[in-house]
Amino acid sequence: MVTREDIENIALLSKLFVDESELDSLTEEMQKIVAFADTINTVDAGESDFDNINNLSNVFREDAVQPSLPPSMILSNAPEQAEDHFLVRRRA
Amino acid sequence: MGGGAVKYELVAGFETHVELSTKTKIFCSCTTAFGGEPNTHCCPVCIGLPGTMPKLNERVVEYAIMAGLATDCEIAEIAKMDRKNYCYPDLPKAYQISQYDRPLCEHGHITLSNGRQIRILRIHIEEDAGKLIHNHGDTYVDYNRGGVPLIEIVTEPDFRSIDEAKEYVERLQQIMRYIGVSDCRMQEGSMRCDVNISVRPVGSDTLGTRTEIKNMNSITNIAKAMEYEYERQVELIESGGTVVQETLRYDDADGTTSPMRSKEDAHDYRYFREPDLVTISVPRSRVEEIRATLPELPEQKKRRYIDDYGIPEKDAAMLTKYRAIAEFFDSASDGLQNPKAVSNFIIGQMFRRLETEADKEAFDLSTTPAHLRELCALLEAGKIRNNLAKTVLEKMLDSGKPVTAFVSEEDMAGLSDDTLAEYCRSAIAAMPNAVADYKGGKEKALMALLGNVMKQSRGRADAAAVTVKLKELIG
Repeated sequence: MVTREDIENIALLSKLFVDESELDSLTEEMQKIVAFADTINTVDAGESDFDNINNLSNVFREDAVQPSLPPSMILSNAPEQAEDHFLVRRRA
Repeated sequence: MGGGAVKYELVAGFETHVELSTKTKIFCSCTTAFGGEPNTHCCPVCIGLPGTMPKLNERVVEYAIMAGLATDCEIAEIAKMDRKNYCYPDLPKAYQISQYDRPLCEHGHITLSNGRQIRILRIHIEEDAGKLIHNHGDTYVDYNRGGVPLIEIVTEPDFRSIDEAKEYVERLQQIMRYIGVSDCRMQEGSMRCDVNISVRPVGSDTLGTRTEIKNMNSITNIAKAMEYEYERQVELIESGGTVVQETLRYDDADGTTSPMRSKEDAHDYRYFREPDLVTISVPRSRVEEIRATLPELPEQKKRRYIDDYGIPEKDAAMLTKYRAIAEFFDSASDGLQNPKAVSNFIIGQMFRRLETEADKEAFDLSTTPAHLRELCALLEAGKIRNNLAKTVLEKMLDSGKPVTAFVSEEDMAGLSDDTLAEYCRSAIAAMPNAVADYKGGKEKALMALLGNVMKQSRGRADAAAVTVKLKELIG
């Protein structure tokens, strides 16, 4: 059973702001999603290994160094930067 | 320990992060080189830009399997990567790619010298986080370390003493260095230990509430932190309090532990399958291929030196502490009858030239294993005496030249009985006081005469033969 507290907790972890007035409807929606997953879970899938359902494995990269990007490019999307570092300000 | 009537037992488990010494990061081709100017070892993948795709470094899987095999783990046939979600500036994606329920290695162990087995629950692969520098409340972030491959080695709570913990960390370090998957430098952070610790009355078989200590950068600090935390928990319980499950930081400066602020207000990592990476499948043939590349491990080497060569345990431990020393010894003693003599030269004379542990680890001396083998072969063949061999080895170490540069054919020919007798007579003539002392009952006076003969023969004379001859001549 999904509770209002679950929704509040998920919102907190997801850094989402949820208005008090939305909690009931969101709880109901989340309950439906979970119920859907529960329905799928009732199917007898035998010995299937769901972690390898596509039989697609071992896409690897060779351990060879490629040049990195210059720090100016790495930092170009940073909201704030200082001395070639990303800068995270103290929260007010 | 433990002031009251009840005696308390320490129970601890380890989670150890080991940085793998691959050339590139786990999911991109940036270098893993330590340090570097900030944010110069970065690309869109390791700073987590949207739309980028991680691609797994094959060597990371190989190294993790090596680590697993070296600690007697079972290697998974199918493993996968998962996302561990938490929001903190050291993780640009707000999740770490790790392994949750299908790690590469499980159910291994390391046996300690007291015979107790420390069970290894699992070894999984994951990416390291970036480095944070806190300054007046602001945080400066350097992502050079972000994405560097790690293995996390998790034990069961099998430790019962601080000595066991210390030995485990040393052994783990030694094994990982031997197999070449990590340099395990705690000061540089390439090996980091978290310790879960609880106490319980001796005889109890239920676990007490545990705390987790982080941030210890040396074996000494691990021992101090555990000692402090053990005492703190015992005192807390004895004064009627209860231990709170929390994460503690060890403060090196005052030797205490204090609670860390949690990374997430609500502690829930919401693990789920990493959708950008496919399954890792490890055919059994691949496991055997990797097993075949493993060198002989330090414990096996040590046993062989003790059982096959009759080398004392203490010496065998010194020879096997670092792989370079053991390999030097193996090569130098190859084909010789008496490897113990080789061991004595290494420990007695070569170690003296290596001051620090780092020097010993590198074992970089001008004398090669072949040079030492040559010297020992002459000794075994009776062509030179032990005293001469020692002197010559010093010269070899000084110069890097082989034994033939210092020992002539004449030296190797040994002494004829006549020459020996001549040297003895000349010693007796030169040292009348020593002769008188010996005749007066001072056995030790003979040593002075022996020394004189050795000097004349430049170390070629056989001490036992000289002693017999001297006694015979003095009568």
